[in-house]
Amino acid sequence: MVRTLSDLRPVYVVGVGWHRYQNPSETPYVSLGLAAIREALTDAKIEWPAVESSYVATALLGMAAGRPMLRHLGTTGAPLVHIENASASGSTAFRQACIEVAGGISDVALAVGVDKRNPVQRSNTGIDHLADDAIVPFTHFALLTNEYAARYNASVEDIALVAVKNHRNGAKNPNAQRQQERTLQEVLGGKKVSGALTSLQCTPIGEGAAAVIVASDEGIRRYGINPDRAIRVTASVGRSERIYPPGVGFDAALTRETAELALAEAKRQPKDLDVIELHDAFTVEELHYIESIGLCPEGDGVQMLKDGALDIGGRCAINPSGGLIAMGHPIGPTGIGQIGEITKQLRGEAGERQHPHARVGMAHMVGVGAVCYVHIMEGRR
Amino acid sequence: MSTDKLLKSNIYSFGSGGPRGSAPVLLGGQCRCGYVFFPMQAYGCEQCGNHGDALTPCELSTGGTLLAEAVVHLHADKNRPAPFTIVKVALDDGPVVRSVLAEDSAAVSPGQRMTARLVPVRSGESGETVLDLRFTAAI
Repeated sequence: MVRTLSDLRPVYVVGVGWHRYQNPSETPYVSLGLAAIREALTDAKIEWPAVESSYVATALLGMAAGRPMLRHLGTTGAPLVHIENASASGSTAFRQACIEVAGGISDVALAVGVDKRNPVQRSNTGIDHLADDAIVPFTHFALLTNEYAARYNASVEDIALVAVKNHRNGAKNPNAQRQQERTLQEVLGGKKVSGALTSLQCTPIGEGAAAVIVASDEGIRRYGINPDRAIRVTASVGRSERIYPPGVGFDAALTRETAELALAEAKRQPKDLDVIELHDAFTVEELHYIESIGLCPEGDGVQMLKDGALDIGGRCAINPSGGLIAMGHPIGPTGIGQIGEITKQLRGEAGERQHPHARVGMAHMVGVGAVCYVHIMEGRR
Repeated sequence: MSTDKLLKSNIYSFGSGGPRGSAPVLLGGQCRCGYVFFPMQAYGCEQCGNHGDALTPCELSTGGTLLAEAVVHLHADKNRPAPFTIVKVALDDGPVVRSVLAEDSAAVSPGQRMTARLVPVRSGESGETVLDLRFTAAI
């Protein structure tokens, strides 16, 4: 890397919006996306023609889905690009929008994620495997759950507590797909999926949309945006998987590397983080990632969870939105929705979910293990 | 003369003991840089990027140590009716592989020594027995 985002001019999140994440429905993606974008424009108090560039994150809608959606906001001719990066599609679109504004190409840019639950298509690499058709993502994470439990002497009940916390947070989020508190008994007693994983410990893939608008100081001045509600992006890092020693999980190792770079870029320590939105598609991931980010030594995540240190109001609120487990994971929107949640938390506008005195937030996504994106944001308060 | 046929003869083969007599071998590769991988491919080394004659085929033992197991309760693909068990094995020769546990294997947990064998999975078009590789607890 020749330069990091923090070497360029400051970039801020100035508007956030959603269409609720929900079970698959007949609603066209165009409606989902437009609802999120219009809410973000209203939040920033700007009009569509102010947006100089758009990044549309979607993994499951097929080719060039953005134009049939954005055309209904009015004709501007502004550039548009589509980003597919698996689960990290939204995070990647956000990073590119930030880079464009920080680099001085645009003063106001949009990152919007929208998806419907369509079949995942992956091209044949020409390399065969022993039984890849038998190993879907939840089985990958069931294996990691078994490995974590054996290595750190954690119980199935301990790991399932992640789901109890995240359903509790999601129950307070009007944009969450799952808005119901669940007891440990309900989580453990649900439908068995793979290994120790039950359905309430797995993300419900649904549909929805999330949008954020980013702006430079110049953009904030030009459009009269309230600077007190602007949240600065102080680090943006993307990395991809490399080769790790046997027994080292690539998901956790890749997160460790990416989070370290992001913390260095923001000149922050793990202890400075007040809120984190991270990729908890399956319960064990949250433990792996808080340890990889450096909140505690490896294997100590369960104790933090039991102590309430990861709750809203605890030492560092993890997934106050409900995370992928409760808020949901419609793929394209997910990483952008995380940025929206961190923005609300750092503005002090998160309502019932507000983590007290939140000043520094982190958003983290992985995509099929192969890519990892971490952003750090800081309020002006 | 054997009437056994391998489901994936491109990535494993009969061991030296004959069709069902001994553990099968995995058809892996090694790069000039020392990196050992499975299965064999000629696209390029994942460690150093070398390709062409830097990559040579080599047979890997199925002996290894279990890293993790998971009983799969739900699986959409009708060709793989659940339940079945997936195992993640660190091979003694280097690579980490994931595959299906033999139905008649003893129960396994992390740290267990593992091996593999070929088991009949169905009958082929000409009546031959089709074999696929399954991991199993080593005795």
